[in-house]
Amino acid sequence: MTASSSPCRLRVGTSGYSYTEWTDAGFYPAGTATRQMLPQYARSFMITELNYTWYQMPKAQAIERMRQLVGPDFLFAAKLTRTMTHEIDPDHWRSQVGSYRDGIAPLVQSGQLAAVLIQLPPHFDRSEKNRIYLSALLDALNALPLAVEFRHVSWAVDRVFDALSQRGVTLVTVDEPALPGMFPPLGVVTNPAFFYVRFHGRNAAGWRSGNMQKQFDYDYNDTELQEWVDRRITPMTRQTDAGFLLFNNHVRAQAPKNAQALVRLLAAANLTTAKP
Amino acid sequence: MPPVSCLKMPPWIRKDRPRSVVHLNITDFAVAVERMVDSRLKGHPVIIAPEATARAVVYDMSEEAYQAGVRKNMPLQRALRCCRDAAVLPPHPDRYERVMQDLFREVLSYSPLIEPGEADGHLFIDVTGTSRLFGPSVDVAWRMYHQIKARLGLTPVWSVAPNKLVSKVATRLVKPTGEYVVGDGEESAFLAPLPLVLLPGIESGDLCRLRELNLSLVRQVADLTLDQLNIPFGKRAGMIFDFVRGIDPSPVLPAGQRPRTIMADHEFGNDTNDVAMVEHAVYRLVEKIGATLRKQGRAAATLAIMLDHSDGLRRFRQMAVRPPSGNDITLFETVRSILYLAWTRRVRLRHIRLICAKPVFPPAQMELFFSDSVVIAQKRASLINAVDHIRERFGHDSIGMGRSLTG
Repeated sequence: MTASSSPCRLRVGTSGYSYTEWTDAGFYPAGTATRQMLPQYARSFMITELNYTWYQMPKAQAIERMRQLVGPDFLFAAKLTRTMTHEIDPDHWRSQVGSYRDGIAPLVQSGQLAAVLIQLPPHFDRSEKNRIYLSALLDALNALPLAVEFRHVSWAVDRVFDALSQRGVTLVTVDEPALPGMFPPLGVVTNPAFFYVRFHGRNAAGWRSGNMQKQFDYDYNDTELQEWVDRRITPMTRQTDAGFLLFNNHVRAQAPKNAQALVRLLAAANLTTAKP
Repeated sequence: MPPVSCLKMPPWIRKDRPRSVVHLNITDFAVAVERMVDSRLKGHPVIIAPEATARAVVYDMSEEAYQAGVRKNMPLQRALRCCRDAAVLPPHPDRYERVMQDLFREVLSYSPLIEPGEADGHLFIDVTGTSRLFGPSVDVAWRMYHQIKARLGLTPVWSVAPNKLVSKVATRLVKPTGEYVVGDGEESAFLAPLPLVLLPGIESGDLCRLRELNLSLVRQVADLTLDQLNIPFGKRAGMIFDFVRGIDPSPVLPAGQRPRTIMADHEFGNDTNDVAMVEHAVYRLVEKIGATLRKQGRAAATLAIMLDHSDGLRRFRQMAVRPPSGNDITLFETVRSILYLAWTRRVRLRHIRLICAKPVFPPAQMELFFSDSVVIAQKRASLINAVDHIRERFGHDSIGMGRSLTG
């Protein structure tokens, strides 16, 4: 189903789905094996973000096996592997792009790739060297649906947004703790094809702890989510064909809980999301 | 439906809770350690082999040397013909042991279940059930990798899989660099297209038999039923049946459990094949092991000897001690028999290791009838007790057996 008042098609989901603690938290039924989690997840959401492709270069066979676990309308956003974002080897990153394209090919072929998420590290500032690299990387990934998430505030300038617009690359809108040096939450649309929002939580104390369980431990309340619907999501739906809204606060299954809450609030705002 | 296992699950492994086993492997471990010590070796071919011996064989080599055709256990002379510009270094087991301890320390905070290999750069870590504390297992594995790289300067290959077997195959697949994540339920599909030689636990004899049957890939063997496997493999059929399906219930042993093996080493100043000198050294090793056993209130049920010859060849033999004992004199009788089982070559010896695996509690049952053997055992026990008391009070070198003194 798509939005009734707006042509923008919204999908809400979570960053990753394979968390054993989500069974303990009650999102998955007791006894759900890891291999049963994706089909179970797809009963609630129509999109997920593949986290593991950041750790490991995706392999086509594994992606294809995973794809077959869900229906043809279910979409995947795949993170770009760390060897092209956080641990860049100047001599090998181009061959890594080739391997990455091969790995996600089953999703491209079936039309189930929502976006390739290029998440850049906090130390990746807008230096000349980094600008040249990012430009080359976007060229190498050309023709894929791309979304770039900056973590360094120096990228929050109009020239960057203009350059992304020219390339048709989405600027990821983030919700995260308001800490010095962090990229701010901006509802800037750089790609009319889709916008992309990531909800990381607002745990300022745990953000730089180096432990994911502390960094992403946050439970959004309805007021915070309603503010997002009113101030950013609704205006962005007017400028785009689709929108992906992903929750990364996975600890104790807060992400799926908040995602379900957002679906309700979007419905109340007359913005319909795709449903299983 | 998951395949049914022929192997018995240890009671603490729950079938309804998939495990997450991380395997870290420092490729070409000995070379990596030598490169830590001497950074000039980076980027150059390196061969680790005993020096100054005519028939030395390769103990380990760098990726560059491997690419040039050098292989483990290849005669050094031949290896040098394959790779003329290689730097040849002698093995330094003490350095490797120290780095293993460093590796162990780096991962200790993540899980109590850590099983290191024998100074070979391998570590298994069972991180099942730690996600609420540390996050998803793949992130934990990456953090371990990152920490080891940043603090020790070593770059491990890493994998995450539901058991030790699959995690080890995964790292074998990506070495010398990389990572592999095998999800729960993907074990069989992951292994299917691989050559059988990559499966640990399938021994060379099994491989020969499988080759005779024209089977070289895992999926070919996985297509066979247990009854079909029973014909060529007999008792090993069940194990092979499970392995090709990626089933391995063996637990990752808790940290600190492995050192239950008691070991003592002797390195000869000059390589030797002098019988008296070797026996003296062996008796001293028996004394070390015996003292540790008695301190722990344990006895040896099995003893093993590992001999390293000058040319790098290694011999290993073991034997049961019946009844189990912690008495030096009794142990030496068994050790001497093992020594002559292992020591069949004329090539001089460089290093001896005596190993007591899994010490047991001493037998509590006493002899029913009084006999000469009982008297001898009692006398031996009194003698060793007295020696222990004297050593405790006046130091180890205050008293010794005549046979442990070199002439």
